[in-house]
Amino acid sequence: MTRLIEKRTVDMQIIGDWVEPGTRVLDLGCGPGILLDYLVQKKQVSAVGVDLDFAKITACVRRGLAAYQGDMIAFMRAFPENHFDRVICSRTVQELADPTTVILEALRVGRALTVGFVNHGFWKNRLNSLLQGRKIRNEVYTTEWFESRPANPVTIHDFEHFCRLKGITVTRRAHLAGNWHKPCRTLPNLFAGYAVYDLTLQKRPAAEG
Amino acid sequence: MTAGGAASTALPAFGQRWFNGRSPPQPVCDPSVITQSVTCLHGRLLVGSSARMTDDLEVAPAIAPTPRYLASGDVGLVTPRDFVYARPFTFKSGQVISGFTLRYETYGTLNATRSNAILICHALSGDHHCAGWHAPADRKPGWWNNLIGPGKAVDTRRFFVVCANVLGGCQGSTGPSSLNPETGIPFGILFPFVTIRDMVRAQRLLLEHLGVSELHAVIGGSMGGMQAMLFAIEYPSFVHRVLPMATTGRESAQAIAFNEVGRQAIMQDPAWNRGDYTKDSGPRVGLAIARMMAHITYVSDASMDRKFGRRKKENAPSDAYTFDVQFEVEGYLRHQGQSFINRFDANSYLYITRALDQFDLAHAYGSLEASFAPVEAETLIVGFTSDWLFPPEQNRTLALALLRAGKRASYAELSTDLGHDSFLLESEELYALVRGFLERDQPYVFDYEI
Repeated sequence: MTRLIEKRTVDMQIIGDWVEPGTRVLDLGCGPGILLDYLVQKKQVSAVGVDLDFAKITACVRRGLAAYQGDMIAFMRAFPENHFDRVICSRTVQELADPTTVILEALRVGRALTVGFVNHGFWKNRLNSLLQGRKIRNEVYTTEWFESRPANPVTIHDFEHFCRLKGITVTRRAHLAGNWHKPCRTLPNLFAGYAVYDLTLQKRPAAEG
Repeated sequence: MTAGGAASTALPAFGQRWFNGRSPPQPVCDPSVITQSVTCLHGRLLVGSSARMTDDLEVAPAIAPTPRYLASGDVGLVTPRDFVYARPFTFKSGQVISGFTLRYETYGTLNATRSNAILICHALSGDHHCAGWHAPADRKPGWWNNLIGPGKAVDTRRFFVVCANVLGGCQGSTGPSSLNPETGIPFGILFPFVTIRDMVRAQRLLLEHLGVSELHAVIGGSMGGMQAMLFAIEYPSFVHRVLPMATTGRESAQAIAFNEVGRQAIMQDPAWNRGDYTKDSGPRVGLAIARMMAHITYVSDASMDRKFGRRKKENAPSDAYTFDVQFEVEGYLRHQGQSFINRFDANSYLYITRALDQFDLAHAYGSLEASFAPVEAETLIVGFTSDWLFPPEQNRTLALALLRAGKRASYAELSTDLGHDSFLLESEELYALVRGFLERDQPYVFDYEI
C-alpha cells in the first residue's frame, strides 16, 4: 500500500466511525466515490455525491453510487432542511470559492457536517515555506503553483476561529499527527498534519406566519 | 476525418439520421434543392477529438472492404416485426380503438430468466429501427447504431434490446395514417388523442407479448426520456434502471411554442384538409416547413455556424437579390424538410407534438416528487450543455426531484455544442457512462485494507 493510500484510508476510517449505519449521507466533492463506496459497504448508508467533473460522475455510476454533476451550493439549495443525516466535505474545503456559504448550507441540509482538511499550520508546512521561500511542495501539496487549482489553505486555528465566529458547535474533532496515523494531542495547530471535525448548527425555528 | 472523408456522395452529415433510407428517396418537389447542397457539407461535428455526430457520411459500399452491416460491433441485418394487439385499447382520453399494431425490432437474446431486456424509446420523429441495417444497400443504419450492438455501450451480446415505433406513429405502428377498421379509410384526425402514457402502456403490452418479465433498463432521449421516466413511474417493480437523456418533466413555453408553429404550418397548408388526405397527397409544404423549423431547435447556434457559417452554395445565383437558395444552410434545411415529408405523416406529427406538449409530470401527479414516489428503479439523467430545447436545468430538476423523493438518482452533464441532438453523439465519454450504468451489477469490491 502506498503512503498516499494509507493516508486516505485513515481519513476514511475516522469518517466511517462517525457515520451512523443506514443514514443518508451527502459527500461534497465526492471525486470517484471511494469514500462513499466505503461508507455504503461498511455502514449501508444511502449515499449521494456531488462533483463538477463528468469522469468522476462516471466513476461513481460504475460503482453503483448516486452522483450529481454540478455546483454543490446550487445542489444543496434544492433540498429542505435536514434532508441528509450527514454531509461530508473531505479535502475540499480549501478549494471552495465560498467556504462560508458551503458550510452553512451543508449545516442547513444536514443534521451534521464532517469536514476534513490538511492542516496548513503543520510545522513542516511552515518550515517548508520559511526555508524554501516558495510554495509548499511535498507529498500532500504535490503540485507547482501553476498547475494547482486555486487553494485557500486553512489551519486548525483558522477553522476553530471560523466555527466560533459562526456559532457552529464542534461535536467531535480528530487531529492526526504528521503521518496522519496517530492522534496528535499536543499543540495540534503546530503538530497535526490532518484534522477532521464534526459540526452541528442549532437551527433557528422557522418563522411563524 | 476518418472513413467518412472518402465519400463525396454523402448526404448532409447531421440530422441525416432522420432520413431512414429504407427505400430510395422519393422524388422531391424541387430536385435542385438537394442535388447540389448535399455534396458540400462534409464538415463533421467534432467535440474535442473523440466525439462526433452519428449521422456521418456514407462510405460507399463499393469501397468498403467488408459490408458495413457485417462490421464487428454491428448488429447486422435486422428485420422489423409487428406486434398485433387484437383487444380494445382505451387511451387516456377515454377514446377506444379495437386493437393496434406496434412495429418493433429486437437485437440480442432474451436470457433464461427473462431479465436482460433493455427497452429503447425513440424521440418525436424517430422509429423502431435503432440499430443495424434493413438491407445491404441501406444508406444509413438505425438511428442509435453507434450506441447499440455487440460490444457497444448497450451490448447486445449481453442484453436483449427492444425498440418499438410509438403508438400514434407512422412507421408501421398504428396511428392516424392507419386504416380505421370501422370506415375502411385512414383515421386522420379521428384517431384518438395520444399521450406519452398511452405510448408507454402499448409498449408494456409488447414486452409482455415478448415474454419480458422485467426490464434491466429503459433508455431514451428527448421524448424517449419522457417514456423512460413514465415506465419507472407506472410500472415500478418492472423497471430496474432508467436512463433518460436530454429530456424534461414538462416542456417550457418555448418548446410548446415551437411545436405550435410546426402544427400551424401543417394545418394552414390547404392540402391538410382537416387531416383528410391520401398517402400521396397531404400537407407536404406545411410538414416540410415544420421540420425545417424543428430541426433548428435540435442543433445549436455554434454547431450550425461551424457547419455552414455564411458559406454560399456552389451554384448560388450570382445575383444576390433573389430568393433562391444562396446559403448552404438554406439548402440544408430545405433538404431536411423534403426528406422528412417522404417518411413522416403530417397527422402523426400533430398527434405526437401534442403528446409532448401535454406531458407534465408535476401536473399529472401533484408534484415532481409525488410523481417519482413509486419509482423503484435507479435513475441516471444525462443533460447536454448546449441543449436549449430541453436544457440542462430541466434535466437537473428531474434528478433533484428524484433525490428529494429519496430515490437513487444520478445526473451527468456532457459538454457539447451540438444542441438537443447531442444524445446521439459519438462520444467515448457518453459510452463509458452508459455502459457503467448498465453493466454494474456486482457490488464493487472494496480494495483498501483498513
